[in-house]
Amino acid sequence: MIDVERVDYIRIPVTDIEAANEFYGGVLGFARSPNSPADDWVEYEAGNVTLVVMTPHTHDDEFTPLPPGTIALRVADVADAKASLETAGVEVNEMWDSGVCHGAGFRDPAGNAILLHHRHAPYPDGSTPDEQS
Amino acid sequence: MIVERADFVSVPVTDMERATAFYGNTLGLPQISEAGFPEFQLGENVSVYLIRMESIGSAFTAPHSAHLALRVPDVAEARSELEAKGVEFDGETLDSGVCHMAFFHDPDGNALMLHRRYAPRD
Repeated sequence: MIDVERVDYIRIPVTDIEAANEFYGGVLGFARSPNSPADDWVEYEAGNVTLVVMTPHTHDDEFTPLPPGTIALRVADVADAKASLETAGVEVNEMWDSGVCHGAGFRDPAGNAILLHHRHAPYPDGSTPDEQS
Repeated sequence: MIVERADFVSVPVTDMERATAFYGNTLGLPQISEAGFPEFQLGENVSVYLIRMESIGSAFTAPHSAHLALRVPDVAEARSELEAKGVEFDGETLDSGVCHMAFFHDPDGNALMLHRRYAPRD
């Protein structure tokens, strides 16, 4: 059994690094890490994990957008966050309620599907996501 | 808009039994939820859901290409351990000059990586 200590980062493949920087830094408001090593590999801090916005075509790889739900971003209120993104010109899907959480999907400029997410019901043991953060 | 954190990541799978065996037995990750979708803890900070896309009204079109960089104490040791279990890696372990990276996939082709940065950030 290997010892996985944590997820160091999640790669987000993009085709236009300038548009991606504007989106992840400007629209979503993530802090750009000063340790980002290159202009085609830009690191953003998303609370508990680092998102690496990078261009596959400059790393001997091919671009394929992320499928729906790959990354779920926790926000305090999905409806408020959806409205905020829409004001910024982002098209956001209808909000759904699974019975325990709200979600609303959107795409970044490269077409990666990302989810706004907030669990509103406690877990079966009575705890809440905030208590488990 | 304020994003508090990443709640989870998910990977699309076609064979749930095979995928559950891979993440639970081959990688040895603790399974933290069985209700709905199997959920595994990826170290201290992130969990991963295994999702059959048909169950959310979609379809499996392609595996995700977002390498999840799994921090391990020693990439060579972890790689050897997984290879002994039949996991195939994509090429040799890469030394970027600041970290070691070894690339592999789950049974559905979702991109994963063993990762260890050995150089200081500054």
